[in-house]
Amino acid sequence: MVELRNVSVKYPSGVEALRDVSLTINDRDFVFVVGESGAGKSTLIKLLIREIAPTEGKIKVNGYNLNKLKQKEIPDLRRTIGFVFQDFKLINSMNVYDNVAFVLRSIDAPTKYIRKRVPYVIGLVGLKDKMYAYPNEMSGGEQQRVALARALVNDPKLIIADEPTGNLDPKTSIEIIQLLQGINDCGTTVLMVTHEHELVKRFGGRTILISDGRIILDKEI
Amino acid sequence: MRLSSIAYLTGQGMKNIWTNRIMSLASFCILTVSLLLVGFAVLFTDNINLFVGNIENKNEVIIFLNDDVSEEEIALMGDKLSAMHNISSVTFFSKEQAFEEMKAGMENAEELFDYIGDDSPLPDSYRLKVTDISKMSSTLMSINELEGIYRVKAPTDFVSVLTGLRSLIYIVSIVLITALVIVCMVIISNTTRASVDIRKREIAIMKYVGATNTFIKVPFFIEGLFMGVFAGIVSTVVTWLGYDALVDVLMSDTTFWTALGINGFISFESVALKMAICYVVAGAAVGSVGTVISTRKYLKV
Repeated sequence: MVELRNVSVKYPSGVEALRDVSLTINDRDFVFVVGESGAGKSTLIKLLIREIAPTEGKIKVNGYNLNKLKQKEIPDLRRTIGFVFQDFKLINSMNVYDNVAFVLRSIDAPTKYIRKRVPYVIGLVGLKDKMYAYPNEMSGGEQQRVALARALVNDPKLIIADEPTGNLDPKTSIEIIQLLQGINDCGTTVLMVTHEHELVKRFGGRTILISDGRIILDKEI
Repeated sequence: MRLSSIAYLTGQGMKNIWTNRIMSLASFCILTVSLLLVGFAVLFTDNINLFVGNIENKNEVIIFLNDDVSEEEIALMGDKLSAMHNISSVTFFSKEQAFEEMKAGMENAEELFDYIGDDSPLPDSYRLKVTDISKMSSTLMSINELEGIYRVKAPTDFVSVLTGLRSLIYIVSIVLITALVIVCMVIISNTTRASVDIRKREIAIMKYVGATNTFIKVPFFIEGLFMGVFAGIVSTVVTWLGYDALVDVLMSDTTFWTALGINGFISFESVALKMAICYVVAGAAVGSVGTVISTRKYLKV
């Protein structure tokens, strides 16, 4: 569950990126966050993963009170969140298996569990036959599937997808959103940031529109 | 941390060396050159100290005794001299020994000695060596308080020059080595920072998926440690070969060195173990700590 109460963010440069934002995202929700460039979408994501702290207001994510979170507790928070980025952010020197297993290794998971869980998740995103391929040998859509597998492998409560279809063709974009919907159907909350209104219209659902740091629309479309 | 995780992170550190081989090679070369510069500076200083030490050892204080001093008084004076601070050796030289030494040193003057006869005209003496020549004047004051002394001969001018020279060498070597260490640290820090900089994306990804700072730092630490140890080993071998070759060239003509009172240079074998340990420990410390410090600014994600 994500809860923001009267949150504002003002950068040292004086830019007010978010102004008095209040928002609740319940478990199992699928939410689109839309808005033009510079509206405050990226700042919202940075707040949720505690990359930055709010200037004002209260934030809770997956049971963590981010206002009181200590620096050393940030990894614990992030382990409850899966990320999918526009540019995939895969490690090019690692194959698919290692890119996905890496998340579990970073939380000191047992080797036996890693060996069982990683192939299973790679199978879920349809890349079983590319388990040992390297990112630069794969298409954009395949790389984004690897990123989805990496986000899923830790069984997170929340997946944050930041423009996951930004670098993909329309057909692949639809496949990726369908995969995200499948993940949501299994009980994981999904927050997808996008500026592609056509996709939002096509899939529908709860949509939050941010403009100039404020939420100006929050409704089912 | 699980054993499997430690093994994995160690493996990642080793793998990173190969994956980022160009930057690893650059870091390794900088580290090796830095160690060699400091190592050779230390060897140079040690040799200078050895030369000065050799010259110091040749200094001798001679105490000439009065003619009327009895054998008991001579023995008592020997005991008192031996008990004094800052005196490393005390040797009695009888008037006969002194006369024989004089004869041996003047081989073409037999006729002159015929006039003198067999009785030695020279006084008995004690010949001393001091431990620390910088304390020579206070030692001489203590010696002069003893009874039965005719005259004390000591190289006081020579002592002041040597003491000054030693202080100068000490200061110059400290400044030289400190400057070298600082320059090397700056170069190493920049090289490791560049090496880490090209992996900032990788570090950011690790942070986003919830990796702890320790998990991120360990492979960098292992990588720096391994390169530092390897640079230390290579530096030892290069120093050994280079130093021995240099000494061979310098000692090919000993005339010059003998004229300076220098019998030889420090043999690398005598300092090999000490240098190898210093090289490896310094290489490992600079490599690992330097690399880990360079990761710090990328961990604030």
